[in-house]
Amino acid sequence: MTRKRIWIAFALILVGVALCAGLIAPHDPYETNAALIRLAPCRAYPFGTDQLGRCVFSRVLYGARTTLSAAFFLIAISFVIGCMIGMLCGYFGGIADGILMRIANLFLALPQMVIAIVIAGILGGGLSGALIALGATMWVHFAYQARSHTYMIKQQAYITAARLSGKSSLYICLYHILPNLLLPLATNALTQIGSTIIAISGMSFLGIGVEVPKPEWGAMISEARAYLQLAPWCVLFPALAIILTVITFNELGDLLMEKEA
Amino acid sequence: MELLRGAHLTKTFPEAGGEQIGIRDVSFTLQEGEMLGVVGESGSGKSTLLRVIAGLIRPQEGELFYQGKSYLGKRPQEIGRFLQMVFQDAQGSFDPRMIMRRSVTETVRGEVNGAELSELLERLRLSEKLLDKKPLELSGGECQRMSITRALLGGAQILLCDEITSALDVKTQQELVELLKEMRLAKKLSIIFVSHDLDLVEELCDRVLLLQDGKVQK
Repeated sequence: MTRKRIWIAFALILVGVALCAGLIAPHDPYETNAALIRLAPCRAYPFGTDQLGRCVFSRVLYGARTTLSAAFFLIAISFVIGCMIGMLCGYFGGIADGILMRIANLFLALPQMVIAIVIAGILGGGLSGALIALGATMWVHFAYQARSHTYMIKQQAYITAARLSGKSSLYICLYHILPNLLLPLATNALTQIGSTIIAISGMSFLGIGVEVPKPEWGAMISEARAYLQLAPWCVLFPALAIILTVITFNELGDLLMEKEA
Repeated sequence: MELLRGAHLTKTFPEAGGEQIGIRDVSFTLQEGEMLGVVGESGSGKSTLLRVIAGLIRPQEGELFYQGKSYLGKRPQEIGRFLQMVFQDAQGSFDPRMIMRRSVTETVRGEVNGAELSELLERLRLSEKLLDKKPLELSGGECQRMSITRALLGGAQILLCDEITSALDVKTQQELVELLKEMRLAKKLSIIFVSHDLDLVEELCDRVLLLQDGKVQK
């Protein structure tokens, strides 16, 4: 119970920080100051300043907003699309299932990074390109999971009872299958938050995700890596933010998995 | 009066290297108010026969009649108006996330008749408080009686009981059998009672259909 409370508290703090970054941040995350370049952590700048004299603490707080909102948005869209397609394929089966699952296989075969580079080439980079590249394969995982769970649920006696009770396929999907799908899929979604944050930050680090000067943890590490020996705090704090966030959501996923079991 | 009739029903399932026989050339009749027992070993085709009768799987051959009219090919949703199933796994026949009130009243098309529900619960010796619980909070016997309540609430004249006593202890089995006898008389039900317990079936049923390897032996 204590472990559960700790991780839920962490997750709420992270979401709170992302939502209230504007209220908490002591400085403008975009404000440069030539007199304060690579300043070590101090009372006025708790995480120090970067190579342009910007407040690292404020940028880490605003970075939470960018990274978490992008990850949540991507997972929510993938969750809804994957869940609906997987549920319909698992429930109805047949030719539509065959076609949709072949399409899903096709998407799964696409390498995320190559797609991201291609999209960056076409759209000129940016967060939207990275999200499209990640989303192209992410929904497939939810679809496969939803399909296999739907197939299992469909075999249960309560579905047979509902069919004999005159309930339509739509009713059965919405009121019997979907509620029983949500917990396993939500568990997967929570654990996907961690890997999605790593993927978004990784793409930003490579320069095909969030564009500078927008504060994002991966982009901050990328910008500061040339000065790692002179100002390690510029890399350390965004890296710690990524690690803590990933661990928090993975732990929450584990807790949900335990509950499900 | 003949309520239900199955004629020359055959259902096989594809299997690696051939096909598995579900039922072969099975014919039967069920009169109004009659209790027909179906016995056989595991794999003899008892459950397949029930699923074919309920319209959950379509036979390759044969015909099914309700009150003289063919209902083969009709959807389970329509068949459920006159026929309901009571399952072996009583708890598994209720959605684990739904309260019993919602699950039990699913068979009702239109407004739920509260008086009818209360009367059924009373006859089946179930407390109304159980309606607000989830299936895992009920015992196997309570779930089985709730299952009968659900079947009868929808106005079904025919009950298909698929080994409904096999997962229960001896005392609960006896109670359920007594309740089934009472309900049969009170509601003039016709019942197809599937079991592997020949003694129980012979005691309870008017006629017995013995299945072996998917065929009727007697």
